Amino acid sequence: MKKMRVRLKIWRQESPQVKGHFEEYSLNDILTDMSFLEMLDVLNETLTKEGKRPVEFESDCREGICGTCSLMVSGQAHGPVLGATTCQLYMRTFDDNELISIEPWRAKAFPVIRDLVTDRRALDRIIAAGGYVSVKAGPHADANAMLVPKDLSDRAMDAAACIGCGACVAACPNASASLFTSAKITQLALLPQGQPERKRRAINMVAQMDKELFGSCSNLGECEAACPKRISIQNIAIMKQEYMKAALAADFRAGMGSADGGA
Amino acid sequence: MSEPITLKSGAPDGPLVNKWDNYKANMKLVNPANKRKYSVIVVGTGLAGASAAASLAELGYNVKSFCTHDSARRAHSIAAQGGINAAKGYPNDADSTWRLFYDTIKGGDYRARESNVYRLAQNSTSIIDQCVAQGVPFAREYSGELANRSFGGSQVSRTFYARGQTGQQLLLGAYSSLMKEVAKGKVELFPYREMLDVVMVDGKARGIITRNLTTGEIERHSADVVILATGGYGRVYFLSTNAMNCNVTAIWRAHKRGALFANPCYVQIHPTCIPVSGSHQAKLTLMSESLRNDGRVWVPKNKADCKKDPASIAEDDRDYFLERKYPSFGNLVPRDVASRNAKEVCDEGRGVGESGLAVYLDFRDAIKRDGESVVREKYGNLFDMYHEITNESPYKNPMRIYPAVHYTMGGLWVDYSLMTNLQGLFCAGEANFSDHGANRLGASALMQGLSDGYFVLPYTVTNYIGTHAQELLKKVDTSHTAFEQAEKEVRDGIKNLLNRGKNGKRTPTEIYRDLGIVVWEKVGMARDEKGLKEAVEQIKVLQKDFDTNLQLSGDEHLNSNLEMAGRLADFLELGALMAQDALNRHESCGGHFRVESQHPDGEAKRDDANYSYVAAWEYKGTGQLAALHKEQLIFENVKPSVRSYK
Amino acid sequence: MVPLKRLFTSTLGRKYLMGATGFALVLFIVLHLLGNLTLYSHNGDAINAYAAKLDMLGVGKIILEIGLVITILIHIVTAIQVTFTSKNARPIPYESLKSKGGPTKSTLGSRNMIITGLVLMVFLIVHIVQFRFGPEIEDGYTATVNGVMVHDLYRVVAETFMQLKWVVFYVGCMCFLGVHFRHGFWSMFQSLGMINPRWSKPIYALGFILAVLLSVGFLFIPIYIYATQGGAA
Repeated sequence: MKKMRVRLKIWRQESPQVKGHFEEYSLNDILTDMSFLEMLDVLNETLTKEGKRPVEFESDCREGICGTCSLMVSGQAHGPVLGATTCQLYMRTFDDNELISIEPWRAKAFPVIRDLVTDRRALDRIIAAGGYVSVKAGPHADANAMLVPKDLSDRAMDAAACIGCGACVAACPNASASLFTSAKITQLALLPQGQPERKRRAINMVAQMDKELFGSCSNLGECEAACPKRISIQNIAIMKQEYMKAALAADFRAGMGSADGGA
Repeated sequence: MSEPITLKSGAPDGPLVNKWDNYKANMKLVNPANKRKYSVIVVGTGLAGASAAASLAELGYNVKSFCTHDSARRAHSIAAQGGINAAKGYPNDADSTWRLFYDTIKGGDYRARESNVYRLAQNSTSIIDQCVAQGVPFAREYSGELANRSFGGSQVSRTFYARGQTGQQLLLGAYSSLMKEVAKGKVELFPYREMLDVVMVDGKARGIITRNLTTGEIERHSADVVILATGGYGRVYFLSTNAMNCNVTAIWRAHKRGALFANPCYVQIHPTCIPVSGSHQAKLTLMSESLRNDGRVWVPKNKADCKKDPASIAEDDRDYFLERKYPSFGNLVPRDVASRNAKEVCDEGRGVGESGLAVYLDFRDAIKRDGESVVREKYGNLFDMYHEITNESPYKNPMRIYPAVHYTMGGLWVDYSLMTNLQGLFCAGEANFSDHGANRLGASALMQGLSDGYFVLPYTVTNYIGTHAQELLKKVDTSHTAFEQAEKEVRDGIKNLLNRGKNGKRTPTEIYRDLGIVVWEKVGMARDEKGLKEAVEQIKVLQKDFDTNLQLSGDEHLNSNLEMAGRLADFLELGALMAQDALNRHESCGGHFRVESQHPDGEAKRDDANYSYVAAWEYKGTGQLAALHKEQLIFENVKPSVRSYK
Repeated sequence: MVPLKRLFTSTLGRKYLMGATGFALVLFIVLHLLGNLTLYSHNGDAINAYAAKLDMLGVGKIILEIGLVITILIHIVTAIQVTFTSKNARPIPYESLKSKGGPTKSTLGSRNMIITGLVLMVFLIVHIVQFRFGPEIEDGYTATVNGVMVHDLYRVVAETFMQLKWVVFYVGCMCFLGVHFRHGFWSMFQSLGMINPRWSKPIYALGFILAVLLSVGFLFIPIYIYATQGGAA
């Protein structure tokens, strides 16, 4: 198996309150077949052995679906490979002795908790503002009672593939969460099930996105390039339509249509 | 419980098909105005946890939802690829509730409870309706109707799917329902929390102790009901297809408080995973079972050929061992059979790849027969994924695959209402033992998680609260001595780990990896008495290592090392219990294959006369052997038979 | 009017303003270029006649001009707001931030719309001072078109572009206009949500073609005048 040397420059930050800094490490004998995160596991094992505090970073499924891993690798969200998460990155992508910098996602809405771990709960709050169909558990019409054209369903699925990792925010020069928010708005706007709450959803999710102090979309498309699920910025255009229609709709009043109506 | 107790499922009397209706007809209710007086803790936000938390909040209970991630959307249910079964019968192929029930019972090798499985089959259709109503984008036909595909272990097409991301889409559906209740204030979310103890007050579960993973704070939370939906324990093997943060801690701590742990030795090992490539590896990746439709599994006949380029090995020197041994099912034998056979040929020294622990899955003939473009259309995504990980193209070289752990059928013992033997402590999803017996069929895990959460717990929790309405109105404050005591134990445990971690020489990862090897080799695909006894001894040695020679760095704040050490403590004890359970079960069934118990042709041999029971273990203290309690399995509707795939 | 307030204060609303004002400016720029093509005709009669016709609009012209100024001001003020929102959204910058390529529309130009925009703002001020508030009839800049005495705008223009420094300045600024327009045109459709998958690529391509046509159309005017009449000054 081929081996390589790696030089790392990693952001270390004790807590949200204190200032962080970069520290440099080097590792010999890294296998080219290792995943990027396995390489970091090796680093942490070395640090632990030396009695030093390991580098905190998040990961879970390590197969690109849970959206937990979140590293800015040499200035690129999830590293240089298109359509992949950090955990799907392999060391063979890098040159021998290459200096790799690792930073956390940076955005006001994503404060650093420690080292490379950031708090991305702002994305949850955007969903809580309306990223759902307000049906309750219980009996519903038969699943085939409402037909959904295959192309609509497929397009909804394209948008629904979002894993909520926040790479769109991280890669956006403006730290905008437009791609994330628009993917959910689009998914539900396309499906018949999403119609009753369509306007309310667009208004409230966008309002929450703004409240979380994400930046403004400049149509740069860096989000789409960074998205491990290749979600298109077409969704952002659809969100803009949805929001405009909702904002101009005469029958819409803020806060109307309580999700709580009867039981 | 010093004497063995006879466990009862508590399923209502009456014919199988009416049991659930009878339960609902006779259950205690709580009126809507009163529901808001009760609170429920739900630990875990996977399919079972998120759907239970959302559904209970919709009913009016005050719900507190806990997860270890930053968000409720990241639970490991999200990684399920294939699909979800439901007896809708849309393809007009004679599917029915009964058939789904029968397939599941048979697939579980007759080690599951009839009443639970029948209810699961009944709920399956409602789950699809529920998910469609939520806007889950299931695959559809051009007609606009839902599409189905077939899966192992059944002869009908009843699997609903959303590309290769069914688990993700179903989880996002449940998560969105959960967030809807968060917005309404009915659910309070506690992310970054790890549950470290259950608090019992006057014989009832009334709260939990958690650790805030980001700050290290130890917190007390009280409620009237506690639900654990914390997933399976496959990570005891260190290497598995489970996510890095999957662990047994929540249910193990409940087990230590008295909850019985059922059938810990039932583990499902998936045959088609990408083999281990080195000792650095932390996680294995599953390749869909569907590949066996066109791929042919083989190893060289001669050991000498194992390191050769596979293309240079002549047809006559190849052993297509599944086709040879199972002429009628061939490469499509069930998961457990395929896995065991791969292990056998590797044990003979005929495994391929650098480690010698892999077999070929070859598409050469399929490509020759159908052309590369047809194969690409069917399996392109999977081939790309394989290529990405191994840097080898399956179009040119055969894939190398090896079995890996990916699901655990065992878990906390629960009755028909999904309540453990501890009053007020419920357990749902993979964390309980209930519905899959000794082996789970493909596309049934998602079904069970959502059935538990959307359509079982809302009824059974209400029945429990209704039954104990007055007692539960007396609220337990977190200043209660039981909370104080539990918190102190948790604090002491963590302090102890950090303190002794300063002096030891072995990191949690090192000990964990060793544990994984022991459990994999001795409590893995094939088990025998000698190996299991060795495992018990080896785990004792590792336990001692852990107790006296642990090396930890970092502090009590966010510290993944400390988290791993805490989980490892529980995995070590669980590993010992798995070996004990496997030793006790002198039969082969489903995922549990005892070498001593096989038919002359090498097939698993059940012993229905002596082992047709659920083994539920009671914790007896650190280093003590657990005590066995039995729930006899009664088959009134199906007759256990021998599975044969020749 | 809650809905309208929302339109002006949300991040999306601001982009609608950018897009809508951008749309108006695109229209203006195209008309302006068409008008300016008269500069290519001999002796300046065409442009002077065109200007005279515009002057005949009287109050209407003033209103249009004020409207144009307001549009430009909204475009600029909103752009500055958007920029500040975005700067605030990432208080600690990355040590390095690199484009991932692929489908990205991030280029030096698209990332620096505020810079090209501010350059164009300076240009506009200079341009308006030079030509809108330049030498008038009272200053002796008169010409006769079809027997009527009119303002000799052509002379104002020609005198400016006979000086190399102004040619360089205008050519430079028109390059900035091209860069700004290249992202702005596509961005306008995207910001207003007026785009669907089928039209996305053609519109992006059209943006490039229009950007080249417009900037070349404009920047060739000073070059043409300098080349044909330059050095005389």
